[in-house]
Amino acid sequence: MSRLLDTSQPRLAAGCRWADADGDERMVLFPEGAIRLQGTGREILERCDGERSLQQIVADLQARYSASDAAQIREEVVNFLDKLRQKRIVDF
Amino acid sequence: MPPAPLALIAELTHRCPLHCVYCSNPLELQRAVDEITTDDWMRVFREAAQLGCLHVHLTGGEPLARNDLVPLVNTARNANLYTNLITSGIGLSETRLKSLVEAGLEHIQLSFQDSREDPANDIAGARSHQAKLDLARQIRKFKVAFTVNVVVHRQNLDHLAEIINLAEQLGPDRLEVANVQYYGWALANRDILLPTRQQIAESQTVVANARQRLQGLMRIDYVAPDYYARYPKACMGGWGRRLILIDPAGRALPCHAANVIPDMVFDNVRQRSLPWIWSESPAFQRFRGEQWMPDPCRSCDRRTEDFGGCRCQAFLITGDASATDPVCILSPAHQLVADQVNRANSNQTSLPILEENNRSNSGTWVYRSNPH
Repeated sequence: MSRLLDTSQPRLAAGCRWADADGDERMVLFPEGAIRLQGTGREILERCDGERSLQQIVADLQARYSASDAAQIREEVVNFLDKLRQKRIVDF
Repeated sequence: MPPAPLALIAELTHRCPLHCVYCSNPLELQRAVDEITTDDWMRVFREAAQLGCLHVHLTGGEPLARNDLVPLVNTARNANLYTNLITSGIGLSETRLKSLVEAGLEHIQLSFQDSREDPANDIAGARSHQAKLDLARQIRKFKVAFTVNVVVHRQNLDHLAEIINLAEQLGPDRLEVANVQYYGWALANRDILLPTRQQIAESQTVVANARQRLQGLMRIDYVAPDYYARYPKACMGGWGRRLILIDPAGRALPCHAANVIPDMVFDNVRQRSLPWIWSESPAFQRFRGEQWMPDPCRSCDRRTEDFGGCRCQAFLITGDASATDPVCILSPAHQLVADQVNRANSNQTSLPILEENNRSNSGTWVYRSNPH
């Protein structure tokens, strides 16, 4: 399995898409279900548009949560996206 | 008002070019002349979306047998439902596939019966395996999610590693390996379909190894057979709780098999709106919640996880639709399931794993028929 690199451009996998937002919560629909996203999960996945690189996503999030440390953000993002890739929700 | 359902299961037709011996359709199939119209389905899809459904599963029979499938997909997608086509693939040309994807189809679940052609055709009761292979190779040209589904049982579980290899070559996002559940035609063929304990144990190892090898490439979902479980499955996610099924004649059912239960009255979308049916129809209220539960479910901590199991299975095995699902080891009727499992594992049994060259036209199967 290829690893997520700073230059990777994560995106929703084929057959996955956003549903309409409902307050703080937004859902991603996939073939046999849906996941609810809020908070940082939502912030991360909304940036996975296939254009932004991992490095840009981490920089974006660091700017948004200015007190946080970039290495820690990167680790959280990578773990989160790896998990979603195993569910076939994210590709990179 | 009960919480909204998550998905609508649309059984568009019971017509089907295949005759699979494990088909979950009811033995009494709805006739083509009784099918509801294009306009009826379009209204149902819009009502389902208003009610809060996220997904629509277009199934059958074979949904491709409806010649209005493209406009139906388009309506569902425009209502913002996630559109899933559950199909044998028979009748799906590249042109039609293109039209469906352009109309908004988001996911195709294509069934295979085996990795080997002869046994696959034998289980389907039709020469279909090669056509499925040809179609599967077209699907990846389109921007649509793709799942390969294989129903497994006594006669093909020993080919599971080969089945996974076949799926790998076809390149779906996901492989669903589902053990037969014993309703409808599958129940009629239970003696020949129920696997051995050893087959189940081996299949779990095969799946675990394949998952590790294919991590991030192809997801494998494995549905274990409930006859071998300690506790029942949360059938349909609980009665009247997650799913609403509309049959080809427009009847609203809480699950695929609910019509086997005596004294059920099903409201019809020709007369009633989907929101009314969901909240008011007596069929949906009958086993919703916990009021109906007998002991041991009533006081069991698991009642909020499995909801007492499957009502149809309780009826089919014990004769009482309100009984605890007898696959549960806590059920007073569990011995009835244990007896079936023992039979499937006995050396004295007359339940062979059929020889491949001895299967066709063996007269051993009860093939699913077609509606008139």
